[in-house]
Parts: sequence; C-alpha cells; structure tokens
Amino acid sequence: MTNNKKPTVVWFQAITCNGNTHSLLSANSSRLELFLNSFDLIYHPSLTIDKSLNEILESKDEIDFLLVEGAISKNSDFFTISDETTNVLLNKLTSKAKYLVAVGSCASYGGVHAKFEQNDNVVGLEESLDKKSTKNLKHEIINLTGCPVHPEWIIQTLFTLNNFGKMAIDEEGRPKELYSTLAHHGCTRNEYFEWKIEGAWGEKEGCLFYDQGCRGPMTHSSCNKILWNDVNSKTRAGMPCIGCTETDFPRDNMLETKKNIGIPFEVPTGISKRAYLSITGVAKTFTIDRLNKKLMD
Amino acid sequence: MKTVEIVERIEGEAKLNCSWDNNVISDARIDFLNFRGFEFILEGKAPLDALVYTPRICGICGQAHLKATVDALENIYENINEKLEVTPKAKLLREIGLNIEIIDSHIKWFYMFILPDIIKLKQNDLGIYQPLKGSRWLGASKTASETIKSLAILGGQWPHTSYMIPGGVVTDPTLLDLSSMMNYIDTAVMFFEKSVAGVSFDKYLDFDSRDDLNILSGDMKYFTNLAFENSFQKIGTSHNRFIALGESSLFKTGKIRQRAINKLDLSKVREFTEQTFTIEDRANPKKHTWSKAVCYDNNFYETGPLARAMIGNKPFIKELHKSFKDSVFTRVMARMDELAHLLDNTKSLIKQVDISEESYIKPKINLKDIDSAKATSVVEACRGSLYHDIEIEKGKIKKYDVITPTVWNLGPSHKEQKGIAQKAIIGSKSLDIAKIVLRSFDVCSVCTTH
Repeated sequence: MTNNKKPTVVWFQAITCNGNTHSLLSANSSRLELFLNSFDLIYHPSLTIDKSLNEILESKDEIDFLLVEGAISKNSDFFTISDETTNVLLNKLTSKAKYLVAVGSCASYGGVHAKFEQNDNVVGLEESLDKKSTKNLKHEIINLTGCPVHPEWIIQTLFTLNNFGKMAIDEEGRPKELYSTLAHHGCTRNEYFEWKIEGAWGEKEGCLFYDQGCRGPMTHSSCNKILWNDVNSKTRAGMPCIGCTETDFPRDNMLETKKNIGIPFEVPTGISKRAYLSITGVAKTFTIDRLNKKLMD
Repeated sequence: MKTVEIVERIEGEAKLNCSWDNNVISDARIDFLNFRGFEFILEGKAPLDALVYTPRICGICGQAHLKATVDALENIYENINEKLEVTPKAKLLREIGLNIEIIDSHIKWFYMFILPDIIKLKQNDLGIYQPLKGSRWLGASKTASETIKSLAILGGQWPHTSYMIPGGVVTDPTLLDLSSMMNYIDTAVMFFEKSVAGVSFDKYLDFDSRDDLNILSGDMKYFTNLAFENSFQKIGTSHNRFIALGESSLFKTGKIRQRAINKLDLSKVREFTEQTFTIEDRANPKKHTWSKAVCYDNNFYETGPLARAMIGNKPFIKELHKSFKDSVFTRVMARMDELAHLLDNTKSLIKQVDISEESYIKPKINLKDIDSAKATSVVEACRGSLYHDIEIEKGKIKKYDVITPTVWNLGPSHKEQKGIAQKAIIGSKSLDIAKIVLRSFDVCSVCTTH
C-alpha cells in the first residue's frame, strides 16, 4: 500500500431492495477489508456517517468511482431521494465521476423494478443519463448485471479499473472477463447435462435444464467459477439458474422449462436446435449406471 | 415549531416530521415516500414465480419473504383439500435458513445501524466502532459474512435465493454440509462470547434477572452504559402492546395487551389507508406516506424481537421490561438477546436434520391448474411479523398482499391512535434522540412500502 491518495468511491442507491449492498457486505471478509483499505468509500447511504448525500453533491471534488445500486426514474410521484428524483441525482453525481459502474441488474437495465408498469419510467443508467453529464467519464459505463451482483465481481472490477484504467466489455456493457462464459461453466451437474440425465428438486443428481427451468447454458455469468459466499452456487445447491444477469430477467415461468413435444424450447446458446437434438438422441442411447444411481446412499 | 428531517442510514430513506413544544417533540409523523409496487408486479404472474419475486422485496429479509410465499402456496393446497406432505427435514432446512438470515441482520443492525449513532451522542471518535474502518465494525461484518455462508450452503447463495418450493426444498445437504454450517454458526457464537456479550455463551443463555446486566462485559455492556447515560431506559416507550403472528421452534404466536393471549384470529389483522397514497391518488394533500397502517382488532401492536421475547417468555428480557418497559434500551437488548437464542436454536435444529429423509415431495396438482383459491401465511422475520396473502385465479396470481413488520411498527396513525414508532418518538428532546428511537425499531423503508 502506498501513501498516494486513495481513489474515492461513492455508492448511490436508487430504486432498489438493497440486495447489492448486502451482497457486498457478504463478500469474503479479507477481500472486503482490502477493498475498504485501498479505496475511500466516502458515501454509502446505509454505511457511512461522515458525509451526507447533499454534501457530496455540493462538494467540488471529483468522484473516482461512482457505483449505482438500483433502477432510475424521472417520476417523482413514486420515488425521490432527498426530494429529488433518482434521475436528477444520478445525472448530478455522474457529472463529477470518472468511472460509472452499475451495480446489479436494476441499475444496469431496470431489472425487477422495471416490471412495475404503473410507473412507466423505470430504466437503467444508460437510458437515464444526459450526454452533458457523461462528458467527464473516462470509460464507458460498466454494467455489473446480476440480481444481486456477486460481491467479488464488484471488487475485481474496481481494482482492475484502478490498476489498468480500462476493461473489455461486451455489447451489454458487462466486463468480458466476468460475463463471456456461461453460468453452466463450472456447474457440478455438467456431466448430467452431457448425458441428458434429468434432475429433480431436492436431489444432488441430475441436470436442472430439462424441467426446472435452469438457464445455466444460456446465461452469461461466472457464478460457478467464482463461488457465492465462497462456498456454493445456486445450481450446485439444486436451484436452477434464473438468468438474472441477462437483460430479459425477470422472465415469466422461471422455475420450469418451456418445452415443445418434450424438447426444451430454447437450447444452449450458440448451438443449433438440430445439432442439439442429434447430440441428445445419441447421448440418450447410453445408459450410464454411475450417473443413474444416487451419489450417496 | 415544525421540522422535517430526512433519515438516512436505515435500509432506504424515511422523512421525519416533528412538531416541537418547549424543545420537546410534541408530535411526530413518519413519511415513507418511495414505492416500488411489488404487489402490482405480482399480478398475473405464475404462482411459482412469486418465489423469485418476493425475496427481492428486501435484500436483507428475502428469506422471510421466501418462506412466507412458500407457506402461502402450500396453504393454497391445503385450502383446496390437497394438503402437501412436507418432510421434517425440509421444514427444518427452511427454518434454519430463515434463522441464519435473522442472525445476519441482527449483527449488522447493532454494529452498522445503532451503535455509531449512539456513540456519536458522546464523542466524535467512534474508535473501534468506526464504520468501514474500526476493528469491531470489521469484526462484525466478517462475522455476518461468515455466518451467511451456512445459508449459502442450503440456497446456493445469499442474498436472493429461492431454495424453498411447495413440497419441500431444492437442496439435499450432506452431513459434511451440515457440519460446515455448524462451523459457520460457531464463528458467530465465538463473536457473541468475545465481543457482543463478553461472557461465555452458556452463562449468557442462563441470564434471567436484571442483575445479570452487571455480568455483561462486551459491547452489550458498553451499550448499556451509554444507554443509561442517555436515559434510553426511559425514552422510546410506545403503547406497550406486543404481537407475534408467526411461530417456529423458537418463537411463539400471540399478543400481549394487558395479559398474554396465545391464540390469534388472523381475520382481525386489517390494513388502513386513510393516510396512504394510492396509485390513482398519489397527490392527495391529506395523504403523506406510502406506508399503510395495520392493526389487530383495531389496535396498534409492536412487533419484533421485544414482542417475541415478551410473548415467548424470555426471562432476561421480561425482567428488563419489568423495569424499563418498551424503551429504546429494552428494545435493543431484546434484539441482541434474540441473537444468542437464535444461534443456540439454529445449532440444535441443524443437529436434528435427518439427511435420509426426502428434501422434496412432488405435489399431485400443479398450481397452474388451480382455478380459484386463496391463502394466507405468517412468519417471523428479522424485524417482526410478516404476513402474505395470495389469491390465485385460473392458475395465475390475481392478488398478492404483503404486510411487513415495519408496517406494524412504522405505519401512520389510525383514527385517534398514534402509530407505534410515532408514539415512541413523541417526548424526544432532540432530533438525534428521535432518530435513535426510530432506529430502535430496525427501520427498513424498502420493506415498509414494498
């Protein structure tokens, strides 16, 4: 650690459930402590006590990293913070910032809150920013999608931007290193997927793609590479991936697989349906005792 | 004189409107001005999708919402005479998951939300309790993140997992998993012994008199000293009525007005909206908050750890209540006392899990094939009683009503009666004290208005 001034971080909460805040607080504690030592988190509405949001807004100081949790709206009837809309506050804060990071799916594209149709103006950062506000940004907006986003992805992104000033991002604004592979990668149920052995709720065995609605093979995320809370992932535990890092989340009927004559309606990303069906047909001709048995009796 | 203060450092934001008389708050109103519309979002959705949506009402008590949803959906089956069989194992794993979340919340609440404000009344240097920097703050944060790992073993992650489903749970832990869970809980037990109470865990669990305050030596002692210096044992008193809707192996259902009654009639739980904005009427000057008011049999009741300790006959807290009533002091102590009992209870529940049982038994009927049914569920969440009410029509959610603990405690007045926190704030001598009174209820604005 050098004596250089630590980069400042402001965490702004807009329309949110605070899930990303609690995700960050649930990070590996050594990593969280290193992050808090290496950056100066000068404002978080629930955690810090030295400065108010108004003081941040009134200050002439630049913000190195502006992190935003929650969706944004221009509608003051449903949501304001300190009597301002989240849209106005976001634009004011962004005009001071060097890097802007959307923390979670709501900040990235509206997420769950955009489903509240009676408020017809719930969107993510990109859609709510004026051109004028973004002129000081040194980088495109980084979208860390996920409901919530994995805490380690936040920490890695901030350290990478701070050390190298840039990150490769995909067409959704997500860091490629975190979102180029699928949730399927690293899933402990992959062998069952390969041999088309269907899973069931409450079992260690079987793949959840066929019936339980698992989106692992279609969802860009590293949930199974960088484990949650250091110990697990949803698909490892037995819960299907619900695709919360993709822009179509939340979808309808998330806990079942949409099928057509018994065949999953959507097949893994990048594979033609015909190829998928051929492979499935071949795989199903094998009967592998080891995989059809209970792992433990 | 009137003042308006925006209260930050709760979960979300609230606005506190105070009237002053002789430098004392003579009237108070709490406004929650933000609304996310979860009940509207749920309309028309597949019933099982509620398992994904409702945990996202709140990032810190999502498992309580998940359990309320799964219970409500199972009650749907019961109400159409198709009661589901759920194994003791699945029931235990659900209760354990919910307990762990409450443990996480109580630790964070004390160290992140309550202590810094109280210490600041006396000094600017918060020392080891300094947010983000102090060793004790970091220790508490570490303990919470270690403890929550035991929930991630069941749910794959936390926050936001939907591992409970009608018929059971999706997960099938091994003995090694259960053992790891116990280890993570023990991290919290050690923190409780060394830092929170400063006495051995077993000794703490035997506390049953006011004199036991003298045995405390950790942060509960530090808090007790600060509380007495600031007369927190005399401020923040409200109606002195308590309710707990849900029950578990640790919590009992019931209410206390003059005397304790253990059987509740849920049809007496009613919400009122005289002061509450609606979608159609959100500019009405007579209305001032998105929070509804909720009463049992037309009366306000406090919900949360103090209510649970009173109804569940927890000796130490009952003794403190005898001396200090429903004050800020008793309320804070009740939450930390509950932390100890939750840790103890959770370890014993983990030991009871029989891994040879099924985790899940498939319902014979799909919820999508149900033409018309209604059901209600109640669970105890970190902040108190949570109520879900669901109506299904033609296989889809027609109506979903959620009453959160914070609506009980922080909702507006009804007719002539002041709301629970509202009444507690009246009499405060400064805004800082008023905010501490408010925080003693564990405010969550995202839950209050959902």
